[in-house]
Amino acid sequence: MDPDTAIGGPHGHLPSTQVSLLEAAAAGMPHDALERLIALYWKPVYRFIRFRFRKDNEDAKDLTQSFFTSALEREFFARFDPAKASFRTYLRMAVERFAANQHAAAGRQKRGGDVQFEPLDEHSAAAESPDAIFEREWRRQLFVLAIEDLRAHCAASGKEQQFRIFEAYDLAGAPRPSYAALAAEHGIPETSVTNHLAWARRMLRGFVAERLRGVTSGERELREEMRRVWT
Amino acid sequence: MDLSDSVLDHLRHMAALPDVSGTRYELEREIGRGGMGVVYAARDRDLDRRVALKVMEAELAGEARLIARLEHPSIVPIHETGRLPDGRVFYAMKLVVGVRLDHYLARSPSLAERLRVIRRAGEALAYAHTTGVIHRDLKPQNVMVGEFGEVYVMDWGVEAVAGTPGFRAPETPLDRRSDIYALGALLEFVLPADGPPALRAVAAKARRPDPADRYPDVGALLADIERFQEGLAVEAWAEPWRHRLVRFAARNAVLLWLLAAYAGVKLVLFFLRNL
Amino acid sequence: MNKILAGSICGLVLGAMDGATAWFYPETHSMMGAIMVGSSVKGMVVGILCGWFARKVQSTGWGIVMGAGLGLVFAFLVAAMDTVNGRHPYLEIMMPGFAVGAITGFLTQRVGTSGSPVRPAH
Repeated sequence: MDPDTAIGGPHGHLPSTQVSLLEAAAAGMPHDALERLIALYWKPVYRFIRFRFRKDNEDAKDLTQSFFTSALEREFFARFDPAKASFRTYLRMAVERFAANQHAAAGRQKRGGDVQFEPLDEHSAAAESPDAIFEREWRRQLFVLAIEDLRAHCAASGKEQQFRIFEAYDLAGAPRPSYAALAAEHGIPETSVTNHLAWARRMLRGFVAERLRGVTSGERELREEMRRVWT
Repeated sequence: MDLSDSVLDHLRHMAALPDVSGTRYELEREIGRGGMGVVYAARDRDLDRRVALKVMEAELAGEARLIARLEHPSIVPIHETGRLPDGRVFYAMKLVVGVRLDHYLARSPSLAERLRVIRRAGEALAYAHTTGVIHRDLKPQNVMVGEFGEVYVMDWGVEAVAGTPGFRAPETPLDRRSDIYALGALLEFVLPADGPPALRAVAAKARRPDPADRYPDVGALLADIERFQEGLAVEAWAEPWRHRLVRFAARNAVLLWLLAAYAGVKLVLFFLRNL
Repeated sequence: MNKILAGSICGLVLGAMDGATAWFYPETHSMMGAIMVGSSVKGMVVGILCGWFARKVQSTGWGIVMGAGLGLVFAFLVAAMDTVNGRHPYLEIMMPGFAVGAITGFLTQRVGTSGSPVRPAH
């Protein structure tokens, strides 16, 4: 039986190496846990700030960077209450508060002149709510990281072909190649294409769960976020 | 590297599909999504028949073993259970061909047909209660009416995340009496706007906020419905004497007509005599 | 109780009550006793026959028809034997007799046990 079958799965047969957010916070938020959190949240926060507050590239980068360096201290994780909202929502709201404070601070600095306030767009023209936008970008980055994990795993375990097939089919834009074409291209039978894809998707699911584990408070939030990711 | 929206959606869809390659089933299509998991139509290769495959996270499978032991004409039989490679659990069960109760009502069935559905659902509940299983989420979307009139109660034992307003009893934790509440709400749901007040009273009694005020068990509720169908007085409703009279007359119509005929004949003869 | 017994009781009681309505015809007062007895006996006979029929055929409709028919026949016999004011009171006895018979027939179908396996005919 393939030992890779359920690696990293939240209900997997092999124990997960990841600790939950609460466990990490209780341990004083070790460096690697924080790194993985930022790896997932940096891009979504950046994109969220750009869209929501209409910042240009440089301003958004600065804001994002200062958010992660200053706002994310120990107290931030201690104050998180899993019963009230998901961590994702909690963090998004913190971003909004942070940006609003920066605005106010910037406004105070410009005292004595024409105070130019960038209006916070309460009634955005876009149909999506801020939460939906943030979640979509967050989900995108989650998959990006999981795919990277999968790539690394395949490279380390000699399964490059599996990854190539996965990349050629599942990561391709429309129109997708047929199984037959892929089989011919790689010199393998069509059933292998089916098997490789099934394997890669299974593994991807596990890597997504692993990434999620580090940013959710525990099993309950993990299950809930898993459900949201796949619906 | 970045992912476009379409690739992202594709990945979400593909990796969500359960890998059933190690089983005897072939997925056909997704047919429903509930609080517990996803249900697919599938084909059993060995027996060459269509089945329903319910796939859920392993943690939620706990009570499913109890439910798998239920055997009742109105409870979907479970053929097989197993574990998928990704850790999820699946249940293979009979594929019900029919419509949900809310869609069934769109066909304007008669009152008798509606009550038949309620009674079948109630019988399933009563049976389950004797084995210790509580449904917890009875609602029109969980009742199916088959093409030959079979009634199935589905999705047992899952406490709905939000609960469906109107069908979920106010108390916590949910127990048998919450199922009675839900059955009463179901009865209310199927009653037409001009439904008989006796049945409305039955539904109201089942839905009293205090569980102690409701019917003591499902059987009592069903018995009241049966009384209504036989033209007897319903326990839940204190009927006004006018209505009682009408009901009496309806039940004893033949006798009353015969007596009226007799009286009529006597009267006619009496008056003829005097002419 | 079995249907025959039930039928005889019903027929007797109904016959007696029907006979009692003769009180509304003053010219019969002298014969009230005989009328009551005759009506009761007539009713009882009809009731017994209806009860017997009900054991064989379980059908409310046919029970009524049978009772009405028997009631008519026996009422005719009684009327043929009576003379009031020089004429046979066919109408006065047969019409109510028809109705009473029908009621008796109905009741025997509903009341009492047939003691035989149920074969519903309607």
